Amino acid sequence: MKQGLYNNFYKYLVDSFDKKQAALTYIESANLTEKRNEAFSIFKELGFPTRKYEEWKFTSLAAALKDELQLMIEHDHSLINTNRIHSLDAVHLVLVNGRFAPELSDVLPEGITFYDTQATMAEIRFEDKISTLATEDDAPMLALNTAFFTEVSVLEIAAHAIVEKPIHVSHVFTVNDIAEFVPYRMLVIAEKHSEATIIETFHSDSLVHPLFVSYVCEQEIHESAILNTHMINTLPENAYFVQHREVFQYRNSVLNNSNIALSDVTLLRNDLNFQLKDVGTETNLIGAYILTGDQHVDNHTLVDHQSPNCNTNEVYKGILLDTSHAVFNGKVFVRPDAQKTNAFQQNNNLLLSDQATVNSKPQLEIFADDVKCSHGSTIGQMNEDALFYLQTRGIGEEAARKLIMQSFIFDVISKIKIESLQDYVSDLLNKKLNTENLTVA
Amino acid sequence: MLNITNLHSSIEGKQILKGIDLKVNAGEIHAIMGPNGSGKSTLASVLAGKPEYEVTEGTAFLDGKDLLDMAPEERAREGLFLAFQYPVEIPGVSNINFLKTAITEIRSHRGLPELTSKEFLKLLKDKQELVELKSSLVNRSLNEGFSGGEKKRNEILQLAMLDPKLAILDETDSGLDIDALRIVASGVNKLRTENNAFVIITHYQRLLDYIIPDFVHILYDGRIIKSGTKELAQELEEKGYDWITQHETGTV
Repeated sequence: MKQGLYNNFYKYLVDSFDKKQAALTYIESANLTEKRNEAFSIFKELGFPTRKYEEWKFTSLAAALKDELQLMIEHDHSLINTNRIHSLDAVHLVLVNGRFAPELSDVLPEGITFYDTQATMAEIRFEDKISTLATEDDAPMLALNTAFFTEVSVLEIAAHAIVEKPIHVSHVFTVNDIAEFVPYRMLVIAEKHSEATIIETFHSDSLVHPLFVSYVCEQEIHESAILNTHMINTLPENAYFVQHREVFQYRNSVLNNSNIALSDVTLLRNDLNFQLKDVGTETNLIGAYILTGDQHVDNHTLVDHQSPNCNTNEVYKGILLDTSHAVFNGKVFVRPDAQKTNAFQQNNNLLLSDQATVNSKPQLEIFADDVKCSHGSTIGQMNEDALFYLQTRGIGEEAARKLIMQSFIFDVISKIKIESLQDYVSDLLNKKLNTENLTVA
Repeated sequence: MLNITNLHSSIEGKQILKGIDLKVNAGEIHAIMGPNGSGKSTLASVLAGKPEYEVTEGTAFLDGKDLLDMAPEERAREGLFLAFQYPVEIPGVSNINFLKTAITEIRSHRGLPELTSKEFLKLLKDKQELVELKSSLVNRSLNEGFSGGEKKRNEILQLAMLDPKLAILDETDSGLDIDALRIVASGVNKLRTENNAFVIITHYQRLLDYIIPDFVHILYDGRIIKSGTKELAQELEEKGYDWITQHETGTV
């Protein structure tokens, strides 16, 4: 046994695997079954990650992995709030607890196809793709998802399709009666020369019992395709959300991603991996978080420059209050072949409480000699000069502090190009700042 | 209007102001001149309420109200305005929203109703013309990427919008070219009424060619060592600060 956590929930999962798998053998391909078995043996051996693992050094799942957690069996679709963003003109696709809800979803425009679990399993083309991009050797949480996911869907953007309306994939979770575990995944394929925008929101109304979500998203972005992706977390307290995202970018493709956590989610862990497989790609990553109370948000990003002439630009900004904890781990690998790489990374934090913690770790590993790379990490306090300046104009101290926090985060949000989405995120920002009882130390 | 008596102030234990007495009446313009390090900017900061400065002795009243007992925002609401020597850049806070917030706070303190958007924009347009500031700047983030001259004109725009009783201009002329200097000076002259007052802190006499002060005070080593009329500024310009410092230390 290694240094993992092997608690009651672990035992429950290990005990239930064979039974669950027996029921699925008729539906899924032998290929997938084989992958699941492999993943299961990895998970079985490693257990849940503890802080003894380098990648989990600052994030403990111990409190999240309640003994009483159970795999979600019942899928209740009779929910009313599908978290539609009203001002946003988008195609609404609703996944309830990971499962597609056609009666709550809009019809897709031309050029984009959605496959629910059944359709995905039936489509032979996807057999080689599901669980192939993301591999789990030393990633027990990913292995856990591969072994146990029940729902899987595919979004496919056809070659040369220009999908003008954003697709809003609304992930909603029903309010549960017991502590539940929801593992599911999605595959996004952007075929060559296509262009599309996918907005993913993660939402649940207030939770009485803990909800633990394991979400894996694999993405293939083919030659000259442009994919704009947004991840907006609006989960409440008592939600624990662990995501693994594996993105393959091919020749001259563009990927934009925004990662917004202005919610009350108790724990959020993102592993966002971008593999630049071919030349001339562009990858722009932005992130924003404001944490209050006991919240814990951990963003691990990895940009793996495997080919020449690729560009990445990453900016993550966050504010910490109360006893919250943020982790930023930004890896950039520049492989020997990846000459003429441009890679810029920045993580700025405002630490506004004596009891809050930030662990910010930029990690550049460069094996090519003709590259431009930079990284910066700052952890700062309230800008007292700015505060005084605002106060001398008659603005009260509390309001001035909020204005400064707002502006710190808005710097990132302003990069969201869809105006109505930017407004929506600004509203989340204002809500987070105004409704919270801020204790600014 | 402003009544300062025996004001002493220190920062991190270092005494900067060593007993300032100054009385400013409505309708007056006072210039405070002095060499670098004499305490000019400290005086401005202490009056505006910058937290790092500790007042160790003395009093400062604005229309009978104890300034030193108020938070910076309360001083502003009571009608004190400080035009900063180095206006702070605040990315993400739009100039126009900031002005609207400030004006709403100050009007509410004075018991005045909130301006409608239309009234606010009309007022802004009028005052903008006064300092010849482009609308594109007004719509940008507060001072972000502004040139030195634009920042100073933006300070005067804020002054015009907030309509204070007493405005302190802290080296507003430093770093301004002659055109910007004329614009700033003409703005101040147009804002001058018999009900308000200005304290102009400057190192040079240049600005005082355009804004004619009623009184000139020379600050040296934390005290006002000489007061007079506008001729004093000219004399100082001709003879230099050495004249006054030698005079003070008795070497002449």
